[in-house]
Amino acid sequence: MRPWAPLALALALAAPARAWRPFGEPSDGKVRPIQELNDAGKAREVLAALTPEFIQTLRGTDLRQAYILMGDNHDRLGRPDAAVSDYQLGVSLFPKNVDLLSRLGMILHREGLDEQAKPLFLRVLALEPHHGTAHQGLAEIDRKLGFLERSAEHYEATLEILDTHADLWRDYAEVLLALREVKTADLALRKSLELEPKSPDAHVLLAFARRAQGDLGGAIDDLDAAYALGAGVGARRAKALFLLEAGKMDEALAEANAVLAEVPGDGAALWVRARTRLARGDEDGAVRDLEQVKATEGGRNAFAAQAARALAVAARQIRSGREDEFYRK
Amino acid sequence: MTRRAFLLALALIAAAPAAAAPDLSADALLRDHLWREVRLAPPERRPKVGLVLSAGSLRGTAHVGVISVLEGAGFPIDVVAGTSMGAVVGSMYSGGLTVPELWKTALAVKVDSGNNLSGRRLISLVLFDNLLSSEKTELSIRKTLGGRRFDQLKKPFACVSMDVYTGEAIIFRDGDVATAVRASMNLPGIFQPLEYRHRYLVDGGVVDYIPVDAARLLGAEWTIASITENDYTAARPKSVLDSLEQVIDIRGSFLSRAQRKQANFLIEPQVGDIGMFEAARIPEAMEKGVIAAAKKLTAAEQSLILASIPKLAPGWAAPETGR
Repeated sequence: MRPWAPLALALALAAPARAWRPFGEPSDGKVRPIQELNDAGKAREVLAALTPEFIQTLRGTDLRQAYILMGDNHDRLGRPDAAVSDYQLGVSLFPKNVDLLSRLGMILHREGLDEQAKPLFLRVLALEPHHGTAHQGLAEIDRKLGFLERSAEHYEATLEILDTHADLWRDYAEVLLALREVKTADLALRKSLELEPKSPDAHVLLAFARRAQGDLGGAIDDLDAAYALGAGVGARRAKALFLLEAGKMDEALAEANAVLAEVPGDGAALWVRARTRLARGDEDGAVRDLEQVKATEGGRNAFAAQAARALAVAARQIRSGREDEFYRK
Repeated sequence: MTRRAFLLALALIAAAPAAAAPDLSADALLRDHLWREVRLAPPERRPKVGLVLSAGSLRGTAHVGVISVLEGAGFPIDVVAGTSMGAVVGSMYSGGLTVPELWKTALAVKVDSGNNLSGRRLISLVLFDNLLSSEKTELSIRKTLGGRRFDQLKKPFACVSMDVYTGEAIIFRDGDVATAVRASMNLPGIFQPLEYRHRYLVDGGVVDYIPVDAARLLGAEWTIASITENDYTAARPKSVLDSLEQVIDIRGSFLSRAQRKQANFLIEPQVGDIGMFEAARIPEAMEKGVIAAAKKLTAAEQSLILASIPKLAPGWAAPETGR
């Protein structure tokens, strides 16, 4: 035996529990079988195995992991309140554990409790400045509250760590679009499409980015691509409006009629049709379309109905102005 | 990042709220389309938009947050009117300060930024009725705006003061900006009234808390008002200054009740619990301005769109049937 070994052994035995920390938290590996159940997606079995009596026997890494497993599996079974309690208990015992803190933050954020989630994410970042989930949580909270630049910064930090998530690139692009940083949004969306080429959402957002850059033709192509990938009638509705903006009245009318065939009484499509009629001098036809929007007021057409009412009044004024002009002549 | 942490992060990302798909509903798309029409329309084809910034002492720094959201969304703002702190923020915004510059300027504000407040002065104020001077406000505005006159500002601007001899609201829209702004935020009972243009002027918040009338005088046809009222029901005044603040705030609230009906759209940052002299809470006030404006942005856009349709419609009609 080396001469210093007995001394080291004596010191180790005499040391308080926290002296182990530099060598990692103690683990007896008791949670390992339950972790395997978790990995197999057996949520009910995991929760059944993690009885209070069993948890009392755990320490260190095992105990921390037990709270994570309980929270994760309660959440998996659609019991977010129970998951929050598990994570909160875990955080009270391991206040500097970023996994527990970020899980608690994310579930609170998902439940709309952003005021409680935000300080948790900030605590995570104080402990681990490059924590992707904490940055993502803060990006979403800041976006919701209106702090768009801060949100974009957090998305950038998230994407430095997790750059293979197409949905994160899309979320980042949406914030950039709201900030009117359209070129960067365009780049972010192309990156998203590289990762997930068949995403209708990315094509729709790219359409908006291209339109914001003045490329209405390209934007309409992207809406066609989105529709082909299953974006639904919404993409056609957007296309009808974009065609109207491009001054392609006949094509806009055709697209609006296609939308109306799928969704009779659609506020946006009727608006497009009314606008094309107004442009042809058919104010009565325009008013008839706008009256239809007003008739479907409420729910999905709440704003469209108000806009239709305002345009119907204006269309009647235009018609009476034209009649006055005719009789004057 | 360790492999374990990376895997945990991936698991968490998967558990995170699903990325929301773009809103392609009829209402959302029509709003987006019409908002584009409003933003791109020449000024004569939409209502002239007036931004109205209320009085509210240091709470009024929330206006900076409101402006940052409106600017960010490309909200067209043609004229600006302000009272008291609203006049300070409004003059700087009309003078061309960018949002980051406004933000930085507001963060630098302290209790004694716009006056000659000191311990000795405060004792003198309470014991001997020696009012403070608001000259520092004037100097600070003059320095920031380079001594500009109203007609040299980038956006038409007006601010309101009150003549203590007559009780009249005096709307300034010409002459020296810095002096007018000083008069507009010359809190009665604390600052000496300012003698200017044969008037004896104090804070306009006493008579015109939300100066919609001043914006209309500048030609505004549609007004959006940012209101930073105090929640005086929660305050328990314990000193002469507290009592004075309470009376001014109650008066302001009564005025505000009638005036808020004159504005087309209201944004009300929740800053009612921030005291008149709580400079340490300025960052919080500005953030609350951002939150309040962001929450109501869509509704504000809708309101302006609906007001713009009568002016936009003739341009949509067949050329021979247009105006």
